[in-house]
Amino acid sequence: MMLPAIVLLPLLAALLPMFTRHLGRRWCALLVALPVVAALGLLAQASLPIWEGGMQQWSMAWLPSLGLNLALRLDGLALLFCVLILGIGLLVVVYAHYYLPAKDDGGRFYTLLLLFMFSMLGVVTSDNLLFLVFFWELTSLSSFLLISYKQYDSAARKGARMALTVTGMGGLALLAGVLLIGHVVGSFSLSTVLENGALVQQHALYPVILCLVLLGAFTKSAQFPFHFWLPHAMAAPTPVSAYLHSATMVKAGIFLLARFYPVLAGTDLWFYLVTTAGMATLLWGAVWALFQHDLKGLLAFSTISHLGLITLLFGLNSPLAAVAGVFHIINHATFKAGLFMAAGIIDQQTGTRDMRRINGLWKYMPYTAVLAMVASAAMAGVPLLNGFLSKEMFFTETLQSDQLGAMSWLLPLGATLGGVFSVAYSARFIHDVFFNGEPVNLPKFPPQEPPRYMKIPVEILVALCVAVGVFPAITVAALLAVAATATLGGTLPEYHLAVWHGLNIPLLMSVIALVGGIAVYACRRRLFTWYARLPEIDAKRVFEGRIQAVVRLTAGVTRRLQTGSLQGYLAWVLALVAAVLVWQLPNLTSFTGERAMLPVDGVSVLCALMLIAAALLTTVLHRQRMMAIICLSVVGLIVSLIFVRFSAPDLALTQLSVEVVSVLLLMLAMYFLPARAKADSNPLRVSRDAVLAVLIGTGVAVVALLVMTTDTATISPFFLENSVPGGGGTNVVNVILVDFRGFDTFGEITVLGIAALGIYALLSDLKLASAKYDPFGRPWAHDAHPLVLVTLSRPLLPLALMIAVYIFLRGHNLPGGGFVAGLITSVALLLQYVASGVTWVHKRIPGDYHPLVALGVLLAGLTGVGSWVFGAPFLTSTFTHVHLPLIGDFELASAMLFDTGVFLTVVGATLLILANLGKLSMLDDKKETT
Amino acid sequence: MELLVALIIGVLVATGVYLCLRARTFSVVLGLTLLGYGVNVFLFSMGGLKINQVAVVGASADPTDPLTQALVLTAIVIGFAMTAFLVVLALRSQGEQHSDHVDGQDGEQRS
Amino acid sequence: MTHWIIAPILIPALAGLLLLLEVRERQQLRRVTGLLSCVALIPVALVLWQQAAQGDVGVYQLGNWQAPFGIVLVLDQLSAMMLLLTAVLALPALLYGCAGDDRRGPNFHSLFQFQLMGINGAFLTGDLFNLFVFFEVLLIASYGLALHGRGTERVKAGLHYVVLNLAGSALFLIALGLIYGTTGTLNMADFAVKAQALEGSDQILLTVAVLLLWVVFGLKAALFPLYFWLPAAYANATAPVAALFAIMTKVGIYAILRMQALAFSDGPLAGLGADLLWWLALVTLALAAIGALAAQRLGGLVAYLVVMSVGTLVAALSLGDPKVVGPALYYLIHSTLICAALFLLCDLLRRSRGDSDDRLESGPPLAHGNWLGAAFFAAAVAVVGLPPLSGFVGKVALLQAVPSAPYWVLLLLAGLAGLVGLSRAGSTLFWRVHGDVVSKKLGRRRVIPMLALLLASPLLTVAAEPLLQLCGGVAEQLADQTIYIRAVLGGAS
Repeated sequence: MMLPAIVLLPLLAALLPMFTRHLGRRWCALLVALPVVAALGLLAQASLPIWEGGMQQWSMAWLPSLGLNLALRLDGLALLFCVLILGIGLLVVVYAHYYLPAKDDGGRFYTLLLLFMFSMLGVVTSDNLLFLVFFWELTSLSSFLLISYKQYDSAARKGARMALTVTGMGGLALLAGVLLIGHVVGSFSLSTVLENGALVQQHALYPVILCLVLLGAFTKSAQFPFHFWLPHAMAAPTPVSAYLHSATMVKAGIFLLARFYPVLAGTDLWFYLVTTAGMATLLWGAVWALFQHDLKGLLAFSTISHLGLITLLFGLNSPLAAVAGVFHIINHATFKAGLFMAAGIIDQQTGTRDMRRINGLWKYMPYTAVLAMVASAAMAGVPLLNGFLSKEMFFTETLQSDQLGAMSWLLPLGATLGGVFSVAYSARFIHDVFFNGEPVNLPKFPPQEPPRYMKIPVEILVALCVAVGVFPAITVAALLAVAATATLGGTLPEYHLAVWHGLNIPLLMSVIALVGGIAVYACRRRLFTWYARLPEIDAKRVFEGRIQAVVRLTAGVTRRLQTGSLQGYLAWVLALVAAVLVWQLPNLTSFTGERAMLPVDGVSVLCALMLIAAALLTTVLHRQRMMAIICLSVVGLIVSLIFVRFSAPDLALTQLSVEVVSVLLLMLAMYFLPARAKADSNPLRVSRDAVLAVLIGTGVAVVALLVMTTDTATISPFFLENSVPGGGGTNVVNVILVDFRGFDTFGEITVLGIAALGIYALLSDLKLASAKYDPFGRPWAHDAHPLVLVTLSRPLLPLALMIAVYIFLRGHNLPGGGFVAGLITSVALLLQYVASGVTWVHKRIPGDYHPLVALGVLLAGLTGVGSWVFGAPFLTSTFTHVHLPLIGDFELASAMLFDTGVFLTVVGATLLILANLGKLSMLDDKKETT
Repeated sequence: MELLVALIIGVLVATGVYLCLRARTFSVVLGLTLLGYGVNVFLFSMGGLKINQVAVVGASADPTDPLTQALVLTAIVIGFAMTAFLVVLALRSQGEQHSDHVDGQDGEQRS
Repeated sequence: MTHWIIAPILIPALAGLLLLLEVRERQQLRRVTGLLSCVALIPVALVLWQQAAQGDVGVYQLGNWQAPFGIVLVLDQLSAMMLLLTAVLALPALLYGCAGDDRRGPNFHSLFQFQLMGINGAFLTGDLFNLFVFFEVLLIASYGLALHGRGTERVKAGLHYVVLNLAGSALFLIALGLIYGTTGTLNMADFAVKAQALEGSDQILLTVAVLLLWVVFGLKAALFPLYFWLPAAYANATAPVAALFAIMTKVGIYAILRMQALAFSDGPLAGLGADLLWWLALVTLALAAIGALAAQRLGGLVAYLVVMSVGTLVAALSLGDPKVVGPALYYLIHSTLICAALFLLCDLLRRSRGDSDDRLESGPPLAHGNWLGAAFFAAAVAVVGLPPLSGFVGKVALLQAVPSAPYWVLLLLAGLAGLVGLSRAGSTLFWRVHGDVVSKKLGRRRVIPMLALLLASPLLTVAAEPLLQLCGGVAEQLADQTIYIRAVLGGAS
């Protein structure tokens, strides 16, 4: 349980500031530091077996089905990183307390910082690859929040987004790579994977896996060409830069190289990819570091360069190089964190980070100057400091490598060149800042030494640099040994940590680097002039520009598709349908089936021709609305004739009554729409639409013909057989509607009811300017209630209601039923509205039809629920025979009650729609007449 | 006869599709109505065509398929509800956008 | 005989109808009625889940007519899971609506209930034509809801939505006609059996019918090239409506999954139309990622994230591999709840930003910006699929289940696009601010439902393993279509 405690303590600490921020920053820092100290203590205890070559593991199942378990592992490599994360983290906590501006209570800062610490510990101790990715992404997220800590600063926001985008992309690649590794090895357990390196390397997917994992590592560790985000991450507060962007998070990529070293390294592909990236980064960072005028900028590029150096070492495929790489991880973390802290102190004391203004600080803050100078010397690789040792090993290793064959000299050459520039920028850091004349126009003057305790973290780090540099064997050797062993996954090569290796080529290279570096710095003026003439490349602007370009591109694509044009959208849908038809139908061998067609008669042909003509006329005349409606109603009429012709009287009745109401509706609507539409389709669009129309029309017709002439066994005989015995009605269509498939009808009347509700909602507070003239240019009559209509309509109402009742009652046995009866009633009632006006009608019947709709559907529903009483499912019907004079013998079925519900809904819904629509015009009339 | 009905279905669907693709709400209503007719007749025809064979028990020797008729009835009612909604929505659109273009005034300006 | 199965349809129907009676005039009573119905749906769904989890498929024969002649409701684990998800989503959405959005037009509560009735009906029915009817119920209710409230943009988006779906309904009927014309049945199980026996021209007709069905379901689910209506319709809908609509696309996905599992998973028709779905879904995924990058408004961005989830799901499901179904269902639950939370959050931001609305440009600073920001950050992390929230689990599960390079590339790139889009949006909305705070009030009655939905993500993460097992169980039951078919048609033989 020690391992999870080590990882979770920082998470616990992250929560504390939420409760203590009102106590002030001092308490926050203290409360946060304690768990970190505790974690360090636990780590010390947990590390005991590791010094003896052992390892600590802990695991708990979380998502076994995905292979994602909460598994932790503490081996030498993890231990090394844990020490760095917790140790430097603790120093940063202390340092930040003094660094943050006075008005910042530190709550948010510490929470985010500790969240990061938690994520980073998770990365290095995960024993499960997916768990590792889990934490990996968390570090990206917390880094995003820390870089954008000064959230109202545009540079901070942009820098944070850039970092998140680049590292996020890498994280996704890593996820893919890890999933592939899991696929190849059959397990996501790191321990298992480490044992199966050969399996991975022999697999066909190895190059893909390698590229994906390296993409993850390179983006995180700012390797060329993904290095550009790091300098802009410097918008973060300096403690963050010291911690995340030099000592720990950017090392996560390196950690990944080390972690996967036994699995992925050793191949030529690894060598070429990793060494190239490392060398390019090393040189690129070193050269540009020299030209940065911003103190933190210089350090950022130097960090990039050193990360490149470590990457290069891991790329060399030599165990000794890997040891050197691990060693440099330690050294770089110590001196660079110290340097960043020093830079933060200088920034705080002078108010600027511009090295062209900060000069001669030796006079004002000699103590800080000493600390910074020692750390810089370590960075430059000056003997007796830790940087020298690992750099010496680095030079040696570049000389040893022969993998480039005849070109092998390139490596030591590049390394020396990197060394030269590294000395040059270190010299600049020392000379420009602390000497080089007097300060220029500092915002804060004179600068002073910082508070005593702010320097402690720097002192500790610098002391470590010296201690390791002078006595490597007693300080760092043990840690390095266990870490390197874990990295290599077994035996450690023989190496010797010493300050003096005798006169050899690496020492010569060091000397060249030192002398050359100072020489380069000496001609800095000429170099700066050269640099100033270079076109300025602001990576942030370039990156933002790229992103903007992508956004513009995507916006362009989206605009082309997402035109906001209904015609376009509909055309896509219909084109897909046409494509389906064109794709499938040519496979048909014949357009007719085996059944002989019915003979054609003259009347039918005539009717069909009329229908076709009317449909085409509707299309041609669609801009002349009145004509179009007339043509449309002709079509509807003939459609009902088709139903009559082919033995469907129920359909014909329904079609006819719906037709009447629809036409009424269309006429009412037309009153408010512009009488004539402008022609606004260009010929291209017309022909496109025509092609679509013909394709789909033909397709549907062909399909229809084929089905009509084919015999298919269907379920309908069941209905014919069971209609009377089971449903108590001879009109099978009606029995299906109210009984066999009564549930459909229940849904259908619900739809009608909802439509009425929706329409009511749409019409409420709608204001429309109506046309003053009808489509033929005649003014609409203002005589609201013509006498003839009034006189005629009133006696019509009872008559119509009687017909409705008749149709309703006979529905179960003969064509008819609740729906048609409902429509007839509605039309009769509507006539009263038209003839006598809303006021007259509403005096006699309640004007709100909502309850009627509800009652109708409720009645239908309750009829269905009623069958529960008899232990039968919803909508089970019962029936009995009744004889009524005039109408004759009919069955009184519970389905009739259901049909009554249908009737009421239809009346309610139709009236709700039309009466409200009608009211619209009457309101309008009233407005005009008053 | 089947050929004739197929022709009718084809014409109704084609004119419906064409009108749906027009720019004015009223035309779209017309188009959807025509398409609705076409689809209803199509659905009806899926049960096969029979003359004078009403699906009333005892009234005909070889009654026509009652199921497709019931389906078409449901479809007609639902179609009516939808058309009514669309018509009123077209009015609403006219009221709010002062245009009967399907894309409102943007559409009007564009075309 | 248990009547529980029909309860998810009848409860909202009853509530919707009661809301039309006297209750109509009284605000508080209306809210209570609606909320009661939503609250009731959760235990009902749990009971049904409990029944389904035992492994049997429950069949409810409406009108006591046996399948395939009468209409049946069928309750298997998939249906039960979808019902539960709907119920869990509906309650917070309605609660949010009760904070004031329900007063922006008449009949909101009724329409909301009918929408639920339609959705639940679609999940339960075992009959194709009845599915059409319930689709119409949920569509007509959604038309009303999409237009709820005012606004020119809303009317325009609503008009597009309505017309496209009316065309979709016509296509649905054509497909149904063809299915009846070739197989002579409407019952899904019966169809699954009879379809296998088709040959020659009948098989071609059936293929046409199925492809048309895919178009219809794709239109509901918002697949390329049928999704164009969605961004405007969702972004312009009132917040609680947009939140509820998060399940609407999933109805289309459900329908595809149901048909595919029943009729096209093996036998002579295996994989019918699957290629079409696969490619359309991949293009959807790509275009949604592009749209998310291009979005100028937060609402539009979230709408594209919905489309992205659709592409992700349909592509995975089109493979017809039972192993994929489990992870896909987990992802479906996650994306539905999180997208709903994002729609509500987007509305809260709109309310705090005054005239700047949800445009991604510099606006006034937000009152309670830290809390809203934290909520936004969490939602973004979840929806993009980053740890530690449920999106990561869902993505890893899907990637493991779908061994296809194009799918991996697109899914990962889409995640990156979402990340870029949301980080831009978040840093603009919360940090690029000027001027004074516009509105101080946030309204607890709005914040709590949003947080409740957001809370789903950590819960889904913590309980990921049991949930994945559960989803795997659902998939397993679905993979053996004979269980379903025997349950439905068993009575007939």
